[in-house]
Amino acid sequence: MTQPTRREFLRDLGLSAAALPFILNLPSLGFANQTARKQRLVIIFSPNGVVPKTFWPDEKGADFALKESLAPLEPFKNKLLTLHGVCDKIRGDGDSHMRGIGCLLTGVELFPGNIQGGSDTPAGWSTGLSIDQEIKNFLQSDPATRTRFGSLEFGVMVPDRADTWTRMSYAGPNKPITPIDDPYQMFSKLYGRLKGQENLKTILDDLQDDLRKLSASINPADRQLLEEQTTFVQEMEQELKSTAAVASVGHAVPDLEPGVKEAAENMPRLSKMQIELMVNSFAADFSRVATLQYTNSVGDAKMRFLGVDQGHHELSHNADDDEASQEKLTRINKWYAEQVAYLAKRLAETPEPGGSGSLLDNTLIVWTNELGKGNSHTLDNIPFVLVGNGLDFKMGRAMDFGKIPHNRLLISLAHGFGHRIERFGNPDYCSPGVLTDLT
Amino acid sequence: MKIRMRIKTPRRDGNGFGLRFAGLLVLLCGIETLSVFADDSPATGETIYQTKCAVCHGPKGEGKTAVYPHPLVGDRSIGELTEYISRSMPEDKPGTCVGDEAQRVATFIHEGFYSATAQARNQSARVELSRLTVRQYRHAVADLIAPFRRAGEVDERHGLLGEYFKSRNLGRNDRVYEQLDPVVDYDFRDQSPMTDHPDGAQVEPHEFAIRWRGSVIAPDTGEYEFLVRTDQATRLWVNDLQHPLIDAYVKSGTDTEHRGTLFLLGGRSYPLRLEFSKASQGVKDEKAKEKPPAKAVVSLEWKRPQQIGEVIPNRFLTPGRAAEVCVVKSPFPPDDRSLGWERATSISKDWDQATTEAAMEVAEYVTIHLDELAGTKADAADRPAKLKEFCDRLAERAFRRPLNPEQQQRYLERQFAGASDQENGVNRVVLLLLKSPRFLYRELGSTDMNSNDPYHVASRISFGLWDSIPDATLLNAAEQGELATRQQVAVQAERMMSDARFRSKLREFLLRWLKVDRIPDLGKDTALFPEFNEVLAQDLRHSLELFLDELIASDTSDFRQLLLSDQMYLNGRLSQFYGADLPRDAPFQKVSFEPSQRAGLLSHPYLMADFAYSSTSSPIHRGVFIARSLLGRMLRPPPEAVTPLAPQFEPDLTTRERVALQTRPESCQSCHALINPLGFPFEHFDATGRFRREELGHPILANGHYVTRQGETVGFDGVRQLASFLAESSETHSAFVGQLFHGMIKQPIRAYGAGTNEALRVEFVRENFSLRRLIREMIATSALTTLPPQTQTTTETK
Repeated sequence: MTQPTRREFLRDLGLSAAALPFILNLPSLGFANQTARKQRLVIIFSPNGVVPKTFWPDEKGADFALKESLAPLEPFKNKLLTLHGVCDKIRGDGDSHMRGIGCLLTGVELFPGNIQGGSDTPAGWSTGLSIDQEIKNFLQSDPATRTRFGSLEFGVMVPDRADTWTRMSYAGPNKPITPIDDPYQMFSKLYGRLKGQENLKTILDDLQDDLRKLSASINPADRQLLEEQTTFVQEMEQELKSTAAVASVGHAVPDLEPGVKEAAENMPRLSKMQIELMVNSFAADFSRVATLQYTNSVGDAKMRFLGVDQGHHELSHNADDDEASQEKLTRINKWYAEQVAYLAKRLAETPEPGGSGSLLDNTLIVWTNELGKGNSHTLDNIPFVLVGNGLDFKMGRAMDFGKIPHNRLLISLAHGFGHRIERFGNPDYCSPGVLTDLT
Repeated sequence: MKIRMRIKTPRRDGNGFGLRFAGLLVLLCGIETLSVFADDSPATGETIYQTKCAVCHGPKGEGKTAVYPHPLVGDRSIGELTEYISRSMPEDKPGTCVGDEAQRVATFIHEGFYSATAQARNQSARVELSRLTVRQYRHAVADLIAPFRRAGEVDERHGLLGEYFKSRNLGRNDRVYEQLDPVVDYDFRDQSPMTDHPDGAQVEPHEFAIRWRGSVIAPDTGEYEFLVRTDQATRLWVNDLQHPLIDAYVKSGTDTEHRGTLFLLGGRSYPLRLEFSKASQGVKDEKAKEKPPAKAVVSLEWKRPQQIGEVIPNRFLTPGRAAEVCVVKSPFPPDDRSLGWERATSISKDWDQATTEAAMEVAEYVTIHLDELAGTKADAADRPAKLKEFCDRLAERAFRRPLNPEQQQRYLERQFAGASDQENGVNRVVLLLLKSPRFLYRELGSTDMNSNDPYHVASRISFGLWDSIPDATLLNAAEQGELATRQQVAVQAERMMSDARFRSKLREFLLRWLKVDRIPDLGKDTALFPEFNEVLAQDLRHSLELFLDELIASDTSDFRQLLLSDQMYLNGRLSQFYGADLPRDAPFQKVSFEPSQRAGLLSHPYLMADFAYSSTSSPIHRGVFIARSLLGRMLRPPPEAVTPLAPQFEPDLTTRERVALQTRPESCQSCHALINPLGFPFEHFDATGRFRREELGHPILANGHYVTRQGETVGFDGVRQLASFLAESSETHSAFVGQLFHGMIKQPIRAYGAGTNEALRVEFVRENFSLRRLIREMIATSALTTLPPQTQTTTETK
């Protein structure tokens, strides 16, 4: 068998192909960098815009009050930024929902294609990669920041169809990445191999017993073969023991509640499970970039657990003076804010392994949306809420940028990792570059 | 060990060197054989040895206690031995055995018993404990899982079932008609599908959809690249019908080629579904009143391992839906093929690790498909019982026999008892089964005491015919005690030979026998052969495979057809190049050729082009092929690395003259006296395998000869006469029997008795050279065996 290159090796791990002996030979994997600070980025998506009057703080600067939609984030107010006036300027093919999600993290136009939206011309996938993947590639290119997966793409209730409305991350032009919205599938991606290895250890005694028994009973001329195999099995046992520390990943493998089906009423449980897996994978340093996509652009989940019977998208079309709908939409966005707050809380209470402070001190959560507002389908004032100190932004402020293209925010995220790109996506929307006000 | 030259053959105006050569006296020397016929004429090295050397060294080099007690073994080359003998042997009269005589005796000693290979050869052969070969491992795993699924549909027809829909959705209500489509390769332009179907008119040109269903047959094992070429929405599933291999439902940008790669096991069918939808997807654009004509194309293509892309041919498609196959993708170190067949009698750490990885891969696969395989559901009350039942059956299949109580304890009960939950228990059982020697080895626990234990017999039959584990019918026959006689074994063999796994195994053997199991590079000098390209090379491969597939499936499966047939499969392109009379776009069909010009597969252009350089033919490669593969002669590698004489240095010589010139030295002649006259009869075929009557303005000389093991010289002119000789020669038959036996059984034929090869040859002749009957006899011979007595063996209690 040929020795795999490191790239193949990483790929194999990520795709769950044969990996055991390679793990054994490289015990330092996933723990490459124990000294330097581990910066992380999480991008959370929720759909259909927000209710501006219950979302955006009235004040600017450090002295501001959180309104109803953002109330759950109150405990993290001094670690939070609201960014008003950041606009998705990308035009071209596709309707606002399609461009809203497809250009959100890519900052560049969609290809012409065959997906017809409710208006505008049909379109295909994005023509560029997304900022999470740009940062992942940057981190993976350096052995000091390289991790087992590089990035993890989580989802909650993402429909089982691949189209422009259901994909946010792109590995490159025409290369959408499918988020994993089944926590059990994510679990097996993260821990499946380890479980197999644990089981492997448990069967070795029985295997050796039978090998011994057979060796004793067969033709002596053939015995050598079985004796050799016995030696190999013993060696494997030794190797498994000596790497036990790696196999146990330095933390308890999370226990998932079994049998949670993918259904709208289970969204709270699914959300929590995914957040637990994400926090665990950060603690194990499996990845430093993660996305978490709730439903999809135009997502129409019926969130009855909030007492809302209509689908989210349907509701979002209702007029501003329909107070009942505005209230329900606020309730929905408040629930999403709770999820962000829960993630922030879990990160805040998890100490940084091998470092100081908590995971939240080294993580930036970016919560965003494909639209500014549901009933107007505007791509202006995309709701960007940032939580955590991962990129050393000056937190605890309500900011207003007037009307700047969101490409500059994407550039700023890269700069936060020391990846000093001057443009990202369509260059026309990149100058004058990084948002200096953030730091 | 081929050396390709990219040198133009220059025109020449030479003389009659070839004629002079034809009269040359050819000496035969230094060639030993493994055959039971080994019976060389006097004045050989052996005669010299017995008269001059055996008195001290013993008749077999074993030594003589009083005079020279040491056996004659060592690692000197023949040249070194020759020099040593010339200088110092015999001890009492050095200098009396020199030159050619010394060389002949040295050669005899070296190949008779002195060298390491001779020693290995002389060891008494026995049926050895063997692990599964890589091929056997992958097929065994596939067949381990298969019975837990609903069996695939068998449909003898070819092509895919196309369902045509009058909307972009593939909903039942919009389905208009269904028909068998030979291949998927359509340019609809801006029209509706316009098939001949009476309901075709119902399908509008601006919006329609098609779903093709059926299976794809993978002829070889390896990475397949599937490609759907379309300007519309498409999805393709292969093997796994849950997860698309290609999802191009979203058409984006100008990309019209959608690819997906899959590792497939050769000789098996895989379920396939292709969806195509001509329309905008997403939200229905009700506002658009105008429906401007739009074009649409779709084709389903693939790249077989190491081959070039093509529309998947009709013969690899079938409308029956196969069952999903569990394909182990983990890499394995290659098997030892130094003897020409996979000898699996050694293991390595690499191999052990590979089996661990593969076991984990299979355990994961089982976990993912557990409810389907165990026939249960996540919340079923009897799920625990079903999971245990699944493991019981799996263990029995993995070990190819029922488990005794102790094994049940170890492999099943204890794993479930020690696991945190049922699924973990299954995972442990699968890992342990697949790491167990009882799964990984053949002939395990087989001794002279229990050699014909019916479950051993069943395994020998199935590995012999299928390279895989016994199926339920065969295990059942074992249980019923119905595998005790040759007759009973033959009945099972007959049944199993109608299975695709048998055809695949035999096909692989024949391709290897023809030395084209790995796809050769047939690149030719483009200045000399501008029309010969990789498409044509792939067509030739198809042509050869079609011939083999037909022969294997035929009732007679007559070996002699391989040598004597006067027909060949050609399509339009091949026909143009090789001068037959078919329309340019004709599909493959059988074409008769002038019998005197060609013969069977021997002169098939694929082989002729392979046994050739890029610009000239190679009588040496062709002669070596005939000597080794057909006549079973052992040939040593050349004594020194030789670069073939480039045509440009001897522009006046024909290929034949050049070869004769270069191999004229005595040291070459020891082998080339055999090789060259077996290669010259092919001189009518140039580097592309095209028939020619002259080279450089000189008529082709295609005469050659062969000195049989009986010492008889047989002459032939051209390939037809050579083929006729080979087809009738017992040397060919005997060599083929030995090679086929090793290819199928993967144990040395001598282990089944010194007379086995000859007995099977006689049977082969009696059965009119039927491959199937010969294999049936081989299976009977090897499955019911009397192993040489062993000492210190105990039978395991059952």
